[in-house]
Amino acid sequence: MMPSIRAMLALLALLAGVAAQAAELKPFVAGSLQQIRAAHAGRPFVLALWSLTCSHCQEELARLGALQRRHPQLNVVLISTDTPEDAETLTATLARHGLARAEAWVYADGFTERLRFEIDPRWGGELPRTYFYDRAHTVTARSGALAPAELERRAVAPLAPP
Amino acid sequence: MRRALLLGLVAGWLTPACAAHEHGAPGQPRDLQGVWEKSLARPALAVGVAFDARGRLWRARVENRQLWISRSDDAGKTFTPPMAVNRVPERIAADGENRPKLAFGKHGELYVSWTQSLAQPFSGHVRFARSLDDGQSFSAPLTVNDNVEIISHRFDSLLVDGRARVWLAWLDKRDASAARQRGERYTGAALYYTVSDDRGATFAPNRRLAGHSCECCRIALARDTDGTPVAFWRHVFGQNTRDHALARLDSAATLRRVSHEQWAVDACPHHGPALSINADGVLHLAWYSGAEKQRGLFYAFSRDRGQSFSAPLAFGQPDAQAGHPQVLALGTRVVLAWKEFDGQQTVIRVQQSRDAGRRFTQPVTLATSASSSDHPLLVSDGTRVLLSWNSLAEGHRLVPLPGNRP
Repeated sequence: MMPSIRAMLALLALLAGVAAQAAELKPFVAGSLQQIRAAHAGRPFVLALWSLTCSHCQEELARLGALQRRHPQLNVVLISTDTPEDAETLTATLARHGLARAEAWVYADGFTERLRFEIDPRWGGELPRTYFYDRAHTVTARSGALAPAELERRAVAPLAPP
Repeated sequence: MRRALLLGLVAGWLTPACAAHEHGAPGQPRDLQGVWEKSLARPALAVGVAFDARGRLWRARVENRQLWISRSDDAGKTFTPPMAVNRVPERIAADGENRPKLAFGKHGELYVSWTQSLAQPFSGHVRFARSLDDGQSFSAPLTVNDNVEIISHRFDSLLVDGRARVWLAWLDKRDASAARQRGERYTGAALYYTVSDDRGATFAPNRRLAGHSCECCRIALARDTDGTPVAFWRHVFGQNTRDHALARLDSAATLRRVSHEQWAVDACPHHGPALSINADGVLHLAWYSGAEKQRGLFYAFSRDRGQSFSAPLAFGQPDAQAGHPQVLALGTRVVLAWKEFDGQQTVIRVQQSRDAGRRFTQPVTLATSASSSDHPLLVSDGTRVLLSWNSLAEGHRLVPLPGNRP
């Protein structure tokens, strides 16, 4: 069912407003993952790798955005494997999926093999790629867009009080 | 609450369009356009090389929207000044999975193919040109795909068969596009091919070899000893299981499943396989899987023309991002090459067998780079095996393998 033109225009106006509030993208370089882990010490979080060139990532972002709305206490950290040049598009995309206020990073080193190795030496580069950190930062990795039920189960279970 | 509802509606409105258009078609979010343009402007690291029947090495590389061909008569030490293939510049895909291709006819014909990137994200045409004067001049490029929608016809592969016919195979989204127009979903892309029996002057109508291939993984193509081309690619079995399949490009074109890692994933790996067929007709195959329980590189052979396969042999270190495999068989010698990351730099590792793939030597490092790089490529003049590898900092290298006879 297609929204009417007027509804679409209204939505676009809303999007423009949301995009304007988007958090700043942080440059992801060697050492950034340690920084992220340290900043979330003792807390569970979801680390989601995505790219504008990956269509399945759009599904994953939409599901993460929906999950974030249902569980405002959920910490979502997003890393885009695009480039800092794409910042405007990246923040607009995150805003569109309701992730404007999530912590967001973008690859800022052309030698992407090094960044990928630091994130996970076993990761072959397929996207989306999602890491679920529990309170002790034991991590579970999953590739591909996850079914909403699986995404919710893996993201929300670690939030339960110990 | 109102905002949440509206955002949910927006997400719902945008998402099916992206999902249905899996890797590209008109209707992608408009902002993808800029990203696509920038990706096309990045340095074209993927270089094609091949030896001709006289042992001369030809190289194809992309610069400033032109494909440039040069020749080396000393196995890569020096090259002739490059000649442009396409006089009219066009955007040419030259990333890891999209490398320009070279092949040779029986009477000195030089054939080249490549993927032209179009204005819409992830769309392309398969292009072909030939030289009948030893690389001095090239024909005007042809678009080989006979469906010319602005959708994906990409990841071309080129081969000359035993009867000197020229074959091209590629990944094609025309069936996905037709399904979308009917309001249906289509899983993956399709593998299409065509053939020319007049030395590349004209090509037959396109034919589909298989529906539901993975979308962005290169196709491996090799000539069997009876002259028939054989294709090996990442397929989508069932809903989303991205394992490997093999088919001969003959009238039966029966698809055979080669690998069973059961990598069920809604993602695109950008990680295609490799195939080499030796003079005894033994197929040697290498591929990557990201399945949780069997992540990494695998090698197998088939001694019955692809009816059955040896138990897959895992190689490379999954903890060092082992990927992008190459295999080359020369008699009973089999060479495997792949990419790893050692924590500081990218390394090209190789392993060799002298008994047709039953046992392999320990892996050794053949080349390294601390910059962006192409996937490795193995080439042979029928006697020696060389690694061809391009990296941003070091440039294009040709490295002879240990064990080459002088």
